[in-house]
Amino acid sequence: MVNGILYSAANRVRLIKPGGLLFCALAAVFSAAFIAAPDAAYSAARDLRDLCLGCHKEVAAYSSKAVVHRPVKEGQCTLCHSPHASKHQGLLKGDGSALCYGCHDKKNFAGGVSVHKPVMDGKCSACHNSHASDAKGLLKKTGAEICYSCHPAEDFKGKKHVHPEVKKGNCTLCHNPHTSNSEGLLAEGRAALCAKCHKTVDTRAHWGYDVAGSDCFSCHSPHSSDRPALIKATLHKPFEEKKCSACHIRGAKEVSESILSTCASCHKATLAGFNKIYSHLISGADTKSCSACHAPHASDGKKLLRDKETRVCFSCHFSTRDSIGRSKVTHPKLEMCTSCHTSHGSNDRYFLSSGNGGCSTADCHPAQGTFTHPVGDKIIDPRSKTPMTCVTCHSVMGASEEFNLRFKKDVDLCVQCHQL
Amino acid sequence: MTRNSPRILLLIVSVLVVFGLSAPAISAEKMPIKVLAVIAGDEEIGRLKNPTGLFFDEAKKRLYITDSGNKRLISFDNEFKYIAELSHEAMVLPASIVRNKEDNFIFVDASRQEVMFVEVKKESIRPFEFLGVPQAGEPFYPGRIAINRATGVLHVVDRLNKRIISAGQNGKFIRAMTVSDKGFFGFNDIKVDEADNVYAIDSVGGVLYVFDGTGGLVSRIPVALSGVRFPGSLAVDKNGLIYVTDMQGDMIFVFNRAGALQYTLSRPGVKEGELEHPSYIYIDSEGRIFIIDGDRIQVFSESKG
Repeated sequence: MVNGILYSAANRVRLIKPGGLLFCALAAVFSAAFIAAPDAAYSAARDLRDLCLGCHKEVAAYSSKAVVHRPVKEGQCTLCHSPHASKHQGLLKGDGSALCYGCHDKKNFAGGVSVHKPVMDGKCSACHNSHASDAKGLLKKTGAEICYSCHPAEDFKGKKHVHPEVKKGNCTLCHNPHTSNSEGLLAEGRAALCAKCHKTVDTRAHWGYDVAGSDCFSCHSPHSSDRPALIKATLHKPFEEKKCSACHIRGAKEVSESILSTCASCHKATLAGFNKIYSHLISGADTKSCSACHAPHASDGKKLLRDKETRVCFSCHFSTRDSIGRSKVTHPKLEMCTSCHTSHGSNDRYFLSSGNGGCSTADCHPAQGTFTHPVGDKIIDPRSKTPMTCVTCHSVMGASEEFNLRFKKDVDLCVQCHQL
Repeated sequence: MTRNSPRILLLIVSVLVVFGLSAPAISAEKMPIKVLAVIAGDEEIGRLKNPTGLFFDEAKKRLYITDSGNKRLISFDNEFKYIAELSHEAMVLPASIVRNKEDNFIFVDASRQEVMFVEVKKESIRPFEFLGVPQAGEPFYPGRIAINRATGVLHVVDRLNKRIISAGQNGKFIRAMTVSDKGFFGFNDIKVDEADNVYAIDSVGGVLYVFDGTGGLVSRIPVALSGVRFPGSLAVDKNGLIYVTDMQGDMIFVFNRAGALQYTLSRPGVKEGELEHPSYIYIDSEGRIFIIDGDRIQVFSESKG
């Protein structure tokens, strides 16, 4: 018997019934002792593993797996589980990754610039089994199969030409699965990563141009392509026609004029789109003007974007990405920023393509604004003293309430303006 | 130390927490504010629509706001009563604005992406001509502007070339300021103090830069590390404190010149005194804080003590 708890031969637990003050005293002593030394409380009991396995027969089967989590192997069930009660599922001592980080240093998994979404969400168990697995690293599936359970294989090897390592399912050759200091969870920066296997000094492959240090992804798709040499799907016309000198100084990487002027020499009409109150006349960290968003040679996206639309936008607007990530309810089609926003310039805040009332389009919300709460220039929000629009009540990108509402729809939302 | 020591420590900490003796919170102090005015326009003068710039004329004690969506410049007195408005065929989308000591306005017109000069006495508006600006690769597209009223030196963000150009009243180039930091995206907003120090913010990079009167970089403040998510604008008060608006976090962060976070102002929301996407900040000599958030300008004062 230890501190009022008696383990019977049948592994059942019986609490000795105390009474009155004696109960309080015993409870206090027990609590203090449990917090101070829970292991001591168990020490007189049977071997912990045997104790748990007495009921949890499935645990025995774990030993037949190729990889067994160390605490399981050592019978340290209580390292993760609370034997008596817990507010977490499976009597776990903590929720999600918080429990894992008790032993595994968080900074190794979530300390980089880019963090894998399940890691960010604290869902280690999205990829890993906690007890045992036949796959390395306690993964739920082997090799690329675990990646393909979220990222469809078709997106990576569904084209005519496939990168050999993708074919082999060797995703982790280029990607870190948890965190990385490079975008796309790449193990290194793009150019350095490719250069580990590919010689960039061979200028014959690049029509005589020295591409050392260049961003290979600017022309090549890293996974697969219908074009040879994994060249991206859409080609800039001068590139397709091998007319390098249409933009470049002959034989050099440099363009003959400024980047903007070079682009504008053909895309003249596009320039006017920047002459707005809110204008994206910007440069990137390593790029200038048009090339901040557009690839000059080839692209797998529309409008020769350097990357997928959201990736291009979120490379600067990462705080928007993060706030969407924290939202319970998000707007559909968030992967298409340009379905609501214009990319070059707008005379409306947030670069909206059709203003704050632009939600009521035939394609999106045709009936809104016609029968619901009145909105428009003459309807003034008494709180802000500015005209009401859709965003007065809805937080369009992401919110905590259904219908992207800023407050609970039953009462909280209405009393913002209508006092009870 | 025994193996039970951490548990005993946990017990002690738990007791301390229970009795309110826990360590102080690490978040910055929140300074209370007093709302002096909310300028949003009305049916009489028209509602403001996408205001993007403002300037307080200390000599005349007048507030000028570029009501960009309504293509006009409007003025208010020291008590924020409407005075007049200026619209002109050459003022299509007025954005950032300053006024020099000769009472002429200099503003950026977004429709032309050009700096414009308003000679009030002659009632003329013409492009402000910059002379002798060295090429930096990309064409010059002006961003926000700031002026040292005493010297008349105008500072302009050169958006595509990621630099600040300083020019005299006559437009003559004085110097260019930039940084060569890795991860530098360019300047979004600038202000200048009486000592001619230029303060500039890289909104995407999350870094605030301070240049001295000779154009030398004297300070680099990584405001993102203090929790500012998207620093859209900045202002400097007479005590040298630097105010930064967080367009994503919807509040104002106040730093000292050494870069230490002092306190924060306001909170997210749309009520008076709250902020939603504060895009521009200006502070006058009396310490009044002017903020553009949405279609309104809020004027605050800090309620210290």
